[in-house]
Amino acid sequence: MNAVAQGETGLLRIRSARWPHALAAVLALVLLAASAEIVLDGAAGRSALIPRSPQIAGWLSGLGERLGYRVFLIALLASVGAYAGLLALARRADAAGLGPRRAIALVAALQLVVFVGPILLSTDVFSYIAYARMGVEHGVNPYLHGPAAIVGDPVYHYVGRDWKHVATAYGPLYTLLSYPLAPLGVTGALWGMKLEALLASVGTLALLWRCARLRGFDPVWALLVVGANPLFTIYGLGGAHNDLLMILAMMVAVTLMVTPRVTPAREAWAAGAIVAGALVKVTVAALLPFMIIARRRLAPVVGTLAAALLGAIVAYAAFGTHGVNVVSALNRDAAFVSSDSFPTEIAHLFGKPGVFPVDHDLLKAALVAIVVYLLWRTWRGYDWVAASGWTLLAITVTSTWLLAWYILWPLPLAAIVRDRRLLAATLGVQGLFVLHQISPLLEPVK
Amino acid sequence: MSAGAPQPAAPAGGHELFDVLPAALRPREQGSGESSGRRWRIETALLLALGVFLLVATVNDLSRQKAVNARLNADLRTWRAYTGHAYHNLLVDTQLLGPTSKREVVCGNTSPGPPKERTQVCLLIWGPIVAGRRPVHGGWYLPPRAEDVQRMRYGCFGREGGRFCRR
Repeated sequence: MNAVAQGETGLLRIRSARWPHALAAVLALVLLAASAEIVLDGAAGRSALIPRSPQIAGWLSGLGERLGYRVFLIALLASVGAYAGLLALARRADAAGLGPRRAIALVAALQLVVFVGPILLSTDVFSYIAYARMGVEHGVNPYLHGPAAIVGDPVYHYVGRDWKHVATAYGPLYTLLSYPLAPLGVTGALWGMKLEALLASVGTLALLWRCARLRGFDPVWALLVVGANPLFTIYGLGGAHNDLLMILAMMVAVTLMVTPRVTPAREAWAAGAIVAGALVKVTVAALLPFMIIARRRLAPVVGTLAAALLGAIVAYAAFGTHGVNVVSALNRDAAFVSSDSFPTEIAHLFGKPGVFPVDHDLLKAALVAIVVYLLWRTWRGYDWVAASGWTLLAITVTSTWLLAWYILWPLPLAAIVRDRRLLAATLGVQGLFVLHQISPLLEPVK
Repeated sequence: MSAGAPQPAAPAGGHELFDVLPAALRPREQGSGESSGRRWRIETALLLALGVFLLVATVNDLSRQKAVNARLNADLRTWRAYTGHAYHNLLVDTQLLGPTSKREVVCGNTSPGPPKERTQVCLLIWGPIVAGRRPVHGGWYLPPRAEDVQRMRYGCFGREGGRFCRR
């Protein structure tokens, strides 16, 4: 009798140990299947969600139907649910069977599925290619003119309508990095951009793994937080956004700074990496004051100044004074308004039709107040990586121009800091963004 | 981060430079000043309040969008019933009569063809949704490939349509 009871208890234990394994496998499959559904339907051709593009995923085109809002939103919600479930299970990694190999395999599969598919949800990559072709093929300065200056170029028709007359807002380093892709033609450049985004993503995840280890966190958990994030894969990688390159530079800097013995040379290189990131997309420069205040040494300042000087010389030589003036592009973009931004939602809440100029000033003041508070906290010993993450999150929340891939900026930092509130807030903001997308599910326009 | 006891001020990065500052202003080593319990609670309460506020704003905007979509569906049904064409490529202008006015202008071709490639008829639509449609208060015609600007409008009709055509 006793042996039977012991046997039953053992069986129950085995069963209770197995269900997280099974659940984790199901959630991983849901995540993969939802991503595959979006990619296969996206490959079927242009739709409201898939921009006009050269046929780069033609071999997948017969497997799905044109991607509509209903299928996309259901797949996105399924991905978000599976992602949340996986993270919850990954907290008890041993029980869930989410060992390093399985987690890496899942993240690699997600990245690969999105990489082989079409460009998803954004025309930005065609702007990148247009700016490169303007400089290389047509001798036109992309800091002075929009893609409308090359109407006859094959990439022109793929550039988003709102951006045809807009000069580049990206940093000179990014523009120069994109130049070698220009002679490859639109399709070749498109694959080049996709590969660049994939490598940036893989590099970010590898550095994240290292940072998590160095800071005493579970690297599997950190990997899943970023690599399985639906906004990271579907929006970020799916759109081949250059934000991934900026995030890679940010993670290079953080990795250099979280190693056990941080030498002045490492500090200088870390500051240089952030400046390099800012020369891709200026937002990441927000990390510099926190790094400098946290270290309180000369090396990061010297690294910043040296990298900025070098960048300015290269930018001036390549693009003239307009290539150096990243602030004017920032000011121009800060005036844009998107319907998904939180300020727009708040304006609607108070019965206003949208954001007014005075609101921009109020939002800037709020952001400055948050940054000053975080600088003070960093001065008094708060983790500068966490403070940087909060700042990036504050930028996205106070920006009147919010896009899904902007909410990725703080995510890698949130995965490697002790202040778990940052991760909760970042994922919360991502959740609100996704929630805001679902109106076509509730009341489709027919 | 868990709430912890306040840490004493420590010399920063080997710099005695800051020793002249009062203790409350001196920098601390990284990780030593994560948060005091009281400060952590205040910050968390503020973050939660902000989160609830953003959630309310998002849900409100979602329900606003849902109402807009319902109105647009009614407008599209109205245009199709009024013109007798079951076309799907119709252009709805929610801005011309004021973005918060709930008054729309819906334009579509008068004969089969790609959007805007044929003579277009535009209808002024506002009012309550009754049986899935809204009242039409007038309208105008546009030549093929023309944008909806006053100088291009002709044949204005209806009680309200006249004031939108060139005089």
